Amino acid sequence: MSRIASFFKYTIMIILAIVSIIPIFWMISGASRPYAELFKYSNSFNIHLFVPVHPTLQNFKDVIFNERNPFLTYIGNTLFVASIVTVLVLLINAMSAFAFAKLRFRGKGVVFALFMSAMIIPGEVTLVPNYLLMHNFGWLDSYKALIIPSMLSVFGIFLLRQFFAEVPDEILEAAKIDGASMPRTFLRIVLPAAVPPMITLGLMTFLGNWDSYLWPLIVINDDKKQMIQVAIAAFSSSQGTDWSKILAASTISTVPILIIFLFLQRYYIQGITMSGVKG
Amino acid sequence: MNGEEMTAWWFVLPSFALLMIFVFYPMLQAFIISFQNYNLVGGTRSFVGLDNYRMLMTDQSFLASLRHSFYFAVIVIPIQTSISLGMALLIQKKVATTGLFRTIYFIPVVVSTAVAATVFKLIYNKEYGLLNNFLELVHLPTTNFLSNPDTAMNGVIMLGMWKAVGFFMIIFLAGLNNIPTDLYEAARVDGASKLQQFFRITLPLLNRTTAFVVIITTIDAIKISGLVFVLTNGGPNGATETAVFYIYQMAFKQMQMGYGTAAAFILFAIVLVISLVQMRLFRNQDY
Repeated sequence: MSRIASFFKYTIMIILAIVSIIPIFWMISGASRPYAELFKYSNSFNIHLFVPVHPTLQNFKDVIFNERNPFLTYIGNTLFVASIVTVLVLLINAMSAFAFAKLRFRGKGVVFALFMSAMIIPGEVTLVPNYLLMHNFGWLDSYKALIIPSMLSVFGIFLLRQFFAEVPDEILEAAKIDGASMPRTFLRIVLPAAVPPMITLGLMTFLGNWDSYLWPLIVINDDKKQMIQVAIAAFSSSQGTDWSKILAASTISTVPILIIFLFLQRYYIQGITMSGVKG
Repeated sequence: MNGEEMTAWWFVLPSFALLMIFVFYPMLQAFIISFQNYNLVGGTRSFVGLDNYRMLMTDQSFLASLRHSFYFAVIVIPIQTSISLGMALLIQKKVATTGLFRTIYFIPVVVSTAVAATVFKLIYNKEYGLLNNFLELVHLPTTNFLSNPDTAMNGVIMLGMWKAVGFFMIIFLAGLNNIPTDLYEAARVDGASKLQQFFRITLPLLNRTTAFVVIITTIDAIKISGLVFVLTNGGPNGATETAVFYIYQMAFKQMQMGYGTAAAFILFAIVLVISLVQMRLFRNQDY
């Protein structure tokens, strides 16, 4: 490629990178400024638009130790729910995926088709009946409403089935001859062989739950039990002008997720690729 | 039933039970509720036949919410698809720097909707927002995108695209990697230009991937809600009320469960028809 073309290409790449990252960078830098400084440099393009003059952790302290908006509690709630959901999603859907990939039973084709057909049913259509179901079960305002309906992942079954199908039948036969029960074979042989797709599905589930907004908004009313996304949204509309604290709260809820992503991005991207290429 | 069959059923049972209780039973319920006048607060529930559907057909705010969703889709599909394909092409070659750029381009996907919308609220601010600051620098008119009914939806669209292009870039990247490289080599030997290679090889062979991207983008666009909730809350003056936002308002603010569910069913029907049509369109020109 000619030099000019290459220069042009890298310029575009860098502009795109700046556009992608600046809002986040600016959020973090804004969160580390005293309020008086936040808009002081906003009408000029000098270095201090992005680099705090007097960096401070006060906003983070204010947000974390605020009695009315205990952000650590929201993060704790969300971590709790997202972790439990992730573990259960992995277990329950791996079991089904294993049965669909490796076991013979009557009606398998029909049942699998039922699962796959659920992919076209959007959650928005079943929002009201599912809410009524939670109401009738008495699960409103409890984490059961967030955890139990989220345990099913049809995409997860689809994803894991592909991987389980590749485990050679001979290994399963050998385990059977050695007297291992089917659940034992599943736990000891099949699951360990599928660690990468399990991480993929686990990460997607965890991030999906971390991001969930509408469902918690509907089923959780008790402030102390709320999830982080709903809390952030409510906080930013109630605080209105106190942008330093809003940015601090947003930063606190974003940085842990970014770190997890940076370490495990390979798996997350693999999951997205799977959904596109085989979909 | 033999042992293997028993075990298989036990393995499928938990997810099958979840599927029945939280997907198929609610779907059936939704169908029934959509023919009812169901008010949760009053506890009243009566069969009204097609009344909900009939009323929705002439309900101006519902129709407006559908228009907003479609506007979003019509703008986003071509722009977002081209940008994400462009990004994928830029970083397709595997060298050390492209890995870094891929990670950076993908970061907005990971940032949660509520956080992104909150930060963009400030970025759009007329006096001290980053975007207007930049517009001023290049001598373009500034505006508070979100408080003007004519531009508010564009503000939602820009945020939506900022957050989603990285996702579709990855899908295009996977599609590009599936194209055999010897095709390009043959084309080069025949003297085809880069542009010809793109239109004769890359685009046709990306057909399946493009179909997937367009269908998913359409469905996401028509169901858009999270960004709207946090960024504008439907305002100003209802200009960014989308269909899902309307359904939420009806069902959970006004407690008209039947009416809201009927609206959800109409949305479902629209999404289904659009994706079937798109699938057919893309299949016809398969290579």
